[in-house]
Amino acid sequence: MSGTQQASRTRSLGASLLDQVLAETVDPAYAQAAAARADRPAPTRGARRRGQALVAATMVLAGLLAALTYDQASAGSEGREQIRDALIADIDRESGVTDDLVAGLAQLQTDVGTARAQALSASTEGQQALAELARQEAGAATEPVSGPGLDVVLGNALPSADDDPVAGAAPADSDVALVLDRDLQLLVNVLWASGAEAISIDGQRLGPTTTIRQAGGAILVDLRPVTSPYDVQAIGDPDALNNGFVSRPDTLYLGQLAVTYDWVFTFNRVGSISMAGAGSTELRAARPLGPAAPPAGTTPGEGTTTDDGD
Amino acid sequence: MIPILGLAVGVVLGLLLDPSVPVWLQPYLPIAVVAALDAVFGGIRARFDGIFDAKVFVVSFVSNVVVAALIVFLGDQLGVGAQLSTAVVVVLGIRIFGNAAAIRRHLFRA
Repeated sequence: MSGTQQASRTRSLGASLLDQVLAETVDPAYAQAAAARADRPAPTRGARRRGQALVAATMVLAGLLAALTYDQASAGSEGREQIRDALIADIDRESGVTDDLVAGLAQLQTDVGTARAQALSASTEGQQALAELARQEAGAATEPVSGPGLDVVLGNALPSADDDPVAGAAPADSDVALVLDRDLQLLVNVLWASGAEAISIDGQRLGPTTTIRQAGGAILVDLRPVTSPYDVQAIGDPDALNNGFVSRPDTLYLGQLAVTYDWVFTFNRVGSISMAGAGSTELRAARPLGPAAPPAGTTPGEGTTTDDGD
Repeated sequence: MIPILGLAVGVVLGLLLDPSVPVWLQPYLPIAVVAALDAVFGGIRARFDGIFDAKVFVVSFVSNVVVAALIVFLGDQLGVGAQLSTAVVVVLGIRIFGNAAAIRRHLFRA
């Protein structure tokens, strides 16, 4: 034993501290109490009873503490799960409401269109207005269209097979490697410039005032999120579209980005694409037809009634 | 036997009554449980060694729980709560292991 004592004397403070923690696992007070008890007469029956009751009460306390902690821990994880489920349900429900409203809006627009056509087709002036309206609506992309065109798919890099599924496929520059709103904007502008007559992203028609913006990690087209891979469809003369698209320098730039970041970037001609109309545009200006008296709200000196409400 | 019964009663009481714990106390419950475990294992070890003393057990239990929670509370106030609770868990864990090993030697003579 003296050999080990010699060794422990030369050991560092940290090591001896560890030794002490390892060696002194039982409270030294027990040994002291036992030694003190040995000098005194044996405790009375009442004192022993009291000691037993105290120990039992302490153990009840220990059990209570353990149960409470278990409850707390399980309640915490359950609560998080519940909140998560509730939020997901909320999102689903509200998305359903939005879809219903959009469908209702489309129905109402059709009704309005029919009623308007009926009302206007009676007079020559009305028919002229109707023709003008049709021209304007085509420009505003509110009417459904179909025809041949080009289908371009631009998407983020697909997770490769040797990515660790637990640690997540998150290389250091993953934020840089994503398709951004400006890449989509560039692609759309290239398509417009190549002679596209109508464009949709993930089935959502682009109108003259449609925005493509980034909000956090998502890209929003007219405030509705679209997800990678982004399916950009363009209606137009397929040959002109294809040639124009391939020959533009911006397409080369996008191709280089795609090679650098392993993006999905494919395009091919499609015989027939059909697109819904873009979301309705707000009514901002109206002009009374013919010599009818201007309504009360008309701004004096101007022929148009402007309505900036809602 | 009575202490084990007491432990069981405590667990059942805690699960059935489900008393609410004040929010400020909640972060210190786990560390208090580890400290309580240490005191309980120390008591069992002392019992096997034949030097068990009720007073020492109760005092060590209460002071262990309170001091462990206090250390972590202090650490939280100083911004090193996580590190201090790790330190407490390491030291108490070593002691629990040592006591468990001693109990095992008493029980199985191995």
